[in-house]
Amino acid sequence: MENLFAKKNKIIFFLLIIIIFISVTMTAKAENNQEKVIQNEEITIAYVPRSLDNPIFLDAFEHAQEKAIDLGIKIEWVAPFAYNAKEQIKIIESLIVRKVDGMVVSVNNTPDYIEVINRAVDSGIAVATFDADAPDSKRLFHIGINNYQAGRVTATGLLEVLEAKNIDYKSKGKQLDTMIMTGVRGALNLDSRIEGFLDRVENTNLKVQDIVENQDSVNLSVELLEQYLQQNPNIDIIFFVGGWPFYVPAEALPNFQQWATNGGVAVGIDIFYDALLLQERGLLQYLVGQDMATMGSKGLSTLYNYIKYGAQPKEYIETGVEVANDDNLQRLLQTHRPWRVK
Amino acid sequence: MFNNLFKKIFNKIGIHTIRTKLIISFLVIGLLPILLFGLLSFNLYRGAINDRISDYSQEMVNRMERDLEDYINEIESFLSREQDFYINQFIKLTQVNDFRNNRKYAFRIWEDFNNLKQMKPGLEDIAITFQDGRRISSYGTFNIDIEDFKDKMYSNLSGKIFFTSPYKSYFQQEVITIVSSYYPEIAEENVLISADIDLDVLANLTDFNLGEKSYFLIADRNGDIIYHPDQEQIGERSLLYNAGFPNRKLNINGEQYILTSTFSRATGWYLISMASADEVESELNYITNLTVYITAIILILIILLTLYLSSSLSKPIQKLQELTHRASENDLSVKIDISGDDEIAELGKSFNKMIRRINKLMEQNVKEQKLLRQLEMQSLDNQIKPHFIYNTLDLIIGLLENQDFDRATHMVEALGKFFRLSLSHGKEMVLIRNEIKHVKNYLFIQQFRHGEEYEYIIDIEDFEIMDKHIPKLILQPIVENAIYHGLLPAEQKGLIIVKGFRKDKNIYFKIVDNGVGIPTKKVEDINKILSGELKTDDQQKYFGLRNVDQRLKLMYGGSSGLKVESIKGEKTIVTIRIDQRGGK
Repeated sequence: MENLFAKKNKIIFFLLIIIIFISVTMTAKAENNQEKVIQNEEITIAYVPRSLDNPIFLDAFEHAQEKAIDLGIKIEWVAPFAYNAKEQIKIIESLIVRKVDGMVVSVNNTPDYIEVINRAVDSGIAVATFDADAPDSKRLFHIGINNYQAGRVTATGLLEVLEAKNIDYKSKGKQLDTMIMTGVRGALNLDSRIEGFLDRVENTNLKVQDIVENQDSVNLSVELLEQYLQQNPNIDIIFFVGGWPFYVPAEALPNFQQWATNGGVAVGIDIFYDALLLQERGLLQYLVGQDMATMGSKGLSTLYNYIKYGAQPKEYIETGVEVANDDNLQRLLQTHRPWRVK
Repeated sequence: MFNNLFKKIFNKIGIHTIRTKLIISFLVIGLLPILLFGLLSFNLYRGAINDRISDYSQEMVNRMERDLEDYINEIESFLSREQDFYINQFIKLTQVNDFRNNRKYAFRIWEDFNNLKQMKPGLEDIAITFQDGRRISSYGTFNIDIEDFKDKMYSNLSGKIFFTSPYKSYFQQEVITIVSSYYPEIAEENVLISADIDLDVLANLTDFNLGEKSYFLIADRNGDIIYHPDQEQIGERSLLYNAGFPNRKLNINGEQYILTSTFSRATGWYLISMASADEVESELNYITNLTVYITAIILILIILLTLYLSSSLSKPIQKLQELTHRASENDLSVKIDISGDDEIAELGKSFNKMIRRINKLMEQNVKEQKLLRQLEMQSLDNQIKPHFIYNTLDLIIGLLENQDFDRATHMVEALGKFFRLSLSHGKEMVLIRNEIKHVKNYLFIQQFRHGEEYEYIIDIEDFEIMDKHIPKLILQPIVENAIYHGLLPAEQKGLIIVKGFRKDKNIYFKIVDNGVGIPTKKVEDINKILSGELKTDDQQKYFGLRNVDQRLKLMYGGSSGLKVESIKGEKTIVTIRIDQRGGK
């Protein structure tokens, strides 16, 4: 009986060993298969800047491509050549149809953009924003600068310039007429910059006379700036919320040159090579720049980690700002490179 | 010939009125040419329309071919570009993943491609594609499934350019792509340079109006549809394919179509026109309807014109006919009033003239009859002269007193016959036989009264005249004149000869006496009075002669009447001429 029991135990034990072995083997095989699938999977992440004709995005383009090589994934960089909301939404829709794994977009916080982002998220695509955010959408995270702070920093720099030029910005008896040039109203990043700028100059004698919208178009921005200065040559200060008109050489901006020579003070956001050249020639006095390279590389890697590993990112990733003033201008001219083919 | 034919037709269908005949004639004359002309025009137009549709369709597909080839040639000239520095740099740097230096070339290519896209309508995108599927286009940089893309490509006849069938592009647009290989001199790998053409370009190329059911389509060499207005058919094998698309007529789902095609060597595509034959027919129906409407309108105009013309022509005739009928019913007060100068108006005038003439004749006739009655009555009155009757009766009494009953009986008998024949039962005309008897009775009585101072001879040469009728009391007044104005004044025994004869169509009586005769001047006056040359106010002058003469002229016309001849102291001849041709 005892032998019989021992014999039975041996059989059960042997069966258990076999079952465990099979289970372990199969699980390992399954895990290997799964790992193999993930490894061979080609992840495609698309960047959708606001337009292709705005060279400010080229840093992000360059660094996102480099990062994609590092990560072994495919990257796409698609946008309408000139900014056009409908075209950009159409492109996002085509990415939804193509079922890309993720997309990083620069958009407005407006209903049509929110709707298309939500549709992408609902179809299983991971969506992040860069440069310009749509916080009311279901986007995963935003990477960019604190635009409000960028506006404040620009205003602080302006006041420093005014002080250095002995221009009274505190006296209530005198008024400094100011023009603001922005892309489109409703673009959250641009609106925040304006808000930060205005908050900072609240207790000064700066008075905003006009806010000019250039529809995110470089060409239109140049045209509008020249027209405005022809009609309003006595404006004291111009705040460029973005660097649209800085992509053309100074010779293409005769009214602006004249106005600056006559003592006009211009400050703006966006640092790139052409803007620094204008600053060097004294047409711009103070610039605040975004770190577009980080937006490209970190934005891509963060989304990749989420897609591949499910790593939950922070909702807001700050890339920080840099300033260009007389102290560091020459160094910045060395580190930034021209984007245009000569 | 036609007249007889029309007469037969009209009689056969029982048409008798001028108005109906005119209406039918005008309609036939007016309608036949129009119907013949309409039928001829319709057939000519039908042939012309069919020819025109075929020619037009062929012209359209030829023009489409030219437009398509022009368009494709332009794209081709761009795609077949020589070495491009920026593209070469971009390819080289892309292959080594030098994104830092490559971004400016990428930007340049985006800009260039976008500019080209803006310049050429329908050019949806231009792209450079690497062999691993990486692509740069006017929309940025992205990846495509290169194997799938290559599967869609097929070469044209030259073999240098490739086309794809229609497909949804990266940006979900329906396009066809024209592809060319680009061999950069600085890199080993060749790339594909391509242009996406919006299918709307093909739609615009085929945007010719052939009709609602008609359409154009484009198919490749295998018959696979590249463009079709029904988008669901794009990519399908065309059912019209029959070792090409030969021109022919065919039936699709009960609709007749005229297929016209041309083959584009530059693209290797067939351009096909499908003109709906039913629409051509409907156009013809339209023409038919138009012809019918115009014919109907002309018919109505002709009918109205016919009614007007026939009415204007037949109305005076009807009026004329009605008035003639009234005139025939003795209403001679009618007068037709027709304006104008045509034959009918002339007929109306003649009718009025005729009626006036009849009225005049009637009045004249009445007048003459009245005169005749008067003359007759006067003549009768003359017969019943009281002293003639008294004398004759006295003579008879004397014979009775002498118991000469035979002669008395003869006298009474002669007198009775004399009056009986004078009255003739009121008849106007009497047989010559009776008129002769009447004269004999008169001469018998007068001879007896005047003691047989004269003889008389009645000599009727042509005895057949005895049965002719003449007005009564023609001879007796002349004989009476011969007795009283010729014989009785003479102192010798007298002789009266009454001769009757016929000459030509005339009946002549000559009353000859051998009495005192009449002076020549008087004879002339008498004859002038009788012929009307001389008027006299004395109604009793030559009463007997004038009475007889007038009655004869009234009865037989101016050629009849009396003529007096006389030789003073020798004889007097009164000739009575009765021209029977002028008798009433």
